[in-house]
Amino acid sequence: MLRGMELLELARGPLLTGSLTVFFAGLLWRFWSIWRLGARAPLAAPRSRASGFSTVFTRMLPRRGFHASATLATVNPYLYHLGLAVVAFGYAPHIAFVERLIGAGWPALPDWAVYLAAGVTIVSLCIALLYRLTDPVLRLISGAGDYFAWVVTMLPLATGMALVTGDAASDPVRLAVHLLSLELLLVWFPFGKLMHAFLVFPARAQLGRFFARRGVRA
Amino acid sequence: MIDYDVFRQFGAAISHLGERAQKVELDDTQRVARAKAVMLAKIDRGMALDLEACVKCGYCAEACHFHVATNDPKYVPTRKLDLLRRVYGREVSPLRFVRRLFEREISADELREWQELVYDACTECGRCSYACPMGINIARGVNVMREALAAAGLVPDELLAVEQEQEQRGSVFGVGARELQAAVAQLRAAGHDVPLDKPKADVLVLTTVIDILLFRDALAATVKLMNHLKLDWTLRSGGFEAANFGLLSGVEDEQRKATRNIVNEAIAIGAKTVIVPECGHSYPALRWEGAAMAGRALPFEVLAISEFIGREVKAGRLKLKNAGDRKLTYHDACKLGRHGGVLDEPRAALRALGVDFRETDPKAEMNWCCGGGAGVFLLNRAAGLRSKAFEIKKAQIDATGAEAVVMSCGSCRLNFMNGQAATHWPVKIESLVELVGDNLAG
Repeated sequence: MLRGMELLELARGPLLTGSLTVFFAGLLWRFWSIWRLGARAPLAAPRSRASGFSTVFTRMLPRRGFHASATLATVNPYLYHLGLAVVAFGYAPHIAFVERLIGAGWPALPDWAVYLAAGVTIVSLCIALLYRLTDPVLRLISGAGDYFAWVVTMLPLATGMALVTGDAASDPVRLAVHLLSLELLLVWFPFGKLMHAFLVFPARAQLGRFFARRGVRA
Repeated sequence: MIDYDVFRQFGAAISHLGERAQKVELDDTQRVARAKAVMLAKIDRGMALDLEACVKCGYCAEACHFHVATNDPKYVPTRKLDLLRRVYGREVSPLRFVRRLFEREISADELREWQELVYDACTECGRCSYACPMGINIARGVNVMREALAAAGLVPDELLAVEQEQEQRGSVFGVGARELQAAVAQLRAAGHDVPLDKPKADVLVLTTVIDILLFRDALAATVKLMNHLKLDWTLRSGGFEAANFGLLSGVEDEQRKATRNIVNEAIAIGAKTVIVPECGHSYPALRWEGAAMAGRALPFEVLAISEFIGREVKAGRLKLKNAGDRKLTYHDACKLGRHGGVLDEPRAALRALGVDFRETDPKAEMNWCCGGGAGVFLLNRAAGLRSKAFEIKKAQIDATGAEAVVMSCGSCRLNFMNGQAATHWPVKIESLVELVGDNLAG
């Protein structure tokens, strides 16, 4: 049976290398799988030469004119997306971890801000799950992949929060478990819906181009 | 002036339309195989991206008039692509070897279930694409689903009957060259100069069955407008029908044939411009999909009549009389506006008429669909769903305080008239080209 330090070394070493390899190779493979399908260039003369690329950015805000939704249902996704970004890229130990890997870092946010963001993110993700389980539309369109994506997103947050309580430094198992949860996220990322973090850009650009050709504001 | 007897006859004819359909008999295995073959042929890079990108947020539900009107989760737009998504997942996606273990094959029963979702409960209005944070073109996917169901012999009977008539006889609702010639004779008797079948002309004007049978004033107004502007134009009895029931039903061969008929006619007379009448889907069918159907870039420009009017007004070539201090609003037909790009021109025309023009909320590319587009107004079993969706439109128009709603689409107009008849709605329903034809200055 592995001891704590051995588990940590495994998580820090070959498993991290392996999961990062799967992550990056998976990203390329998924994009290539879509790209290889080819596309026919539209023959109709465009009404406008605009690229429609601004749609990539304008879709970050909800559009006026839709049936009023519950405020929380609109605000909640912003909370967990921003919260995840703050926790992943703003926490000093995470930046130090990345710096060890690539040799470059950036200034960290104060710990209290990151802990607050993590707390908000966890609550927000729980609300998102509650919506998915109780809203008739979301329940109907959700599948196993949607729930699994929730689990692999929540695990690093939960195991990370476990590290900031008590004397985590003396317990390598807790750190190892946190790293393993991150590695699970990395390995799953290119193959499930979490890939939307990358697909969102070409998908929005594509729709923007479609409408721009027709002279319609998208 | 609309002949309401003809309107009622038209409604009665629609209620029996399905009886004329020559049904396609296939066993379930053939249906699934044919549907899958179409789906696989249509999945390109763009479609794959759309199918991969959905995060199942459900926002599109709030954009869909059928979902909002019924609150029934089955109408959520992204779900309409689920069969396409499964075929993609099992046959094309990078994880297809794994997904085959977990995702079941589509079945003929599901194809039958999806018939209601993609024909009755989707006008391909594209409003859902505006709500989608990922930017997915759901309407395009629904159109592929219609093509797949058409290949599987599952086109609703009413659409199938009209598509088969257009394919086999070249007419729609019994209106062919002879009926056009009769309509032209009537217009000539009323004093209009109608150049029919000129061998060469700069402008080819199309019309449509609804204008010939019911909205004859729209055709008359178009004739007046063309003559007023002293254009070198013609109507051609060999290629006048703008409606494309191949597109609406999902039968691409017929879509191609109907498009090529117009394209060949326009090329034969050396037309520089083809003007599409007030028929919503006809515009994208020719303007945006015509070149793909013809297999080459079109050697002429395609303009919707409302687009043409607005362009002439903006350029100062068309002057309009003040139509009085009437309170008017405008309904954007989805195929013309959101999916066509004809948004500013009709408004330019209405403003030039000097009326008290009131925008709806939301307006233009965000406007609500009336619920009758993409052939839905022909489907008898969709009547209940359609009228629920129309309530949204009605409330939107009522909120403007307008006494009349102007539009530039015959299908929308029919759908509005049906809704009006059912609810005794007092708001007048008017055609843009008729309004302009009645107010030509000079």
